[in-house]
Amino acid sequence: MNNETPAHVPTPSPTMPSPPTPSPGKKGFDFHIDGQPDFALLTVNLPANETLKVEASAMASMDTNMVMKTKMRGGLGRLVTRESIFINEFTAGGGPAEMKIAPGAPGDLSHVHLDGNTIFLQNSAFVASGMDVAVETKWQGIKKGFFSGESLFLIRCSGHGDLWFNTYGALIEMDVTDDYVVDTGYIVAFTEGLSYDVTRVGGYKSLFLSGEGLVCRFRGEGKVWIQTRQVPALRSWVWPFRRAKKKG
Amino acid sequence: MEIAIQHGPGNAAAKVQLGPGESCTAEGGAMIAMSGDMAIETTTHKKGSGGIGKALKRMLSGESFFLNHFTAGANGGELWLATTLAGDMMQTELNQENLVVQGGSFVACDPRVNIDMGFQGFKSLVAKEGIFWLHLNGSGKVIVNSYGAIYPVEVDGEYIVDTGHIVAFNDTLGFKLSKAGKSWMSSFLGGEGFVCRFAGKGTVWCQSHNSTSFGRALGPMLRPR
Repeated sequence: MNNETPAHVPTPSPTMPSPPTPSPGKKGFDFHIDGQPDFALLTVNLPANETLKVEASAMASMDTNMVMKTKMRGGLGRLVTRESIFINEFTAGGGPAEMKIAPGAPGDLSHVHLDGNTIFLQNSAFVASGMDVAVETKWQGIKKGFFSGESLFLIRCSGHGDLWFNTYGALIEMDVTDDYVVDTGYIVAFTEGLSYDVTRVGGYKSLFLSGEGLVCRFRGEGKVWIQTRQVPALRSWVWPFRRAKKKG
Repeated sequence: MEIAIQHGPGNAAAKVQLGPGESCTAEGGAMIAMSGDMAIETTTHKKGSGGIGKALKRMLSGESFFLNHFTAGANGGELWLATTLAGDMMQTELNQENLVVQGGSFVACDPRVNIDMGFQGFKSLVAKEGIFWLHLNGSGKVIVNSYGAIYPVEVDGEYIVDTGHIVAFNDTLGFKLSKAGKSWMSSFLGGEGFVCRFAGKGTVWCQSHNSTSFGRALGPMLRPR
């Protein structure tokens, strides 16, 4: 085999566990994220017999001693939102094991370590978490949910341990100290304690004509993560390129 | 008005920092996040004046019918702008100059910059892609976006750009729409169709990818309309 690599072939990222993103305070699992911000890929090193919850179909590759179990999650809410109602649990059997995880949409990944605090995720943002993180689907209520144009449900993550979530497009982390407005489709996650309201962006003229529709107004102290692209907008953009249906 | 383009070239977003009472004019739908006390006004044209004719022309250019004017509160504020497709953004500053921007590539500008639509006449109607171009003139900062990466070409003499790959150009450049190959047959079979032949001295900003080609590649895989 020819060992010469052609110049245009990108060198693959080293698979050695050299974490560029260290886990804070050594609390959670050993992990690192490669390929940021456009094609983030998460690598988690699980110690023997430890288990990780992973969004259905997000596993890219893993060691052979990793054992997978499929669990139902979230119940009815997930059915309604057409998200997968399954979540996979991967356990490192007999010894430590490594797995690589990437969600469907190309974009960035972020990590938080929960210590009894709670984070809300937009419906499709969940990637993976430790076993002591409770992942529940939460009905937002008609006003906050339906009018947000996104989903009637949020994912509530609480407890202790690692939590990873993803974006479509780049990720921007914002510290909210007073109030901040985010277009509903671009919200990825936010910390509990922030109050939020779905409102119109300006006067009634702006509501219908601005192209911004409804926005989410966060108040209080906390963090909001937003993404720079959104999947529904891409869908609307590509829609006119469909073939015309044959008549008759 | 301070502009920082972040996360380019794949997923660019523009962070616009506004001083107290300062304004920014953006394409409808471009705002993704902003300070809570930012005021927004939606008009069909330049802040304070709303010509419906101009708005209609702008709609034809593939831009949103409406423009949003954001004005920061007493402590200033920030505004984040992004686009639908993957790609980059670029900022440039006009100093009593004219810039021609491809319909669909305009993101935002200083409210002192005039936005007008130039109708390129029948020859560009035939071209289908990039029929309409926005003419920006005046002084102030401008943000444009591209599908894919963005690259400037300093033209001194003549240069050819496919119509689907033009982002913006100085209007010191003259241009002519023409065929890419020797004959129309080869131009269309070769998938190049119309090209823009620039002449003179100035800069053309091009995008690495053509969004219409991407749309045509995806469209047939979707349920017919």
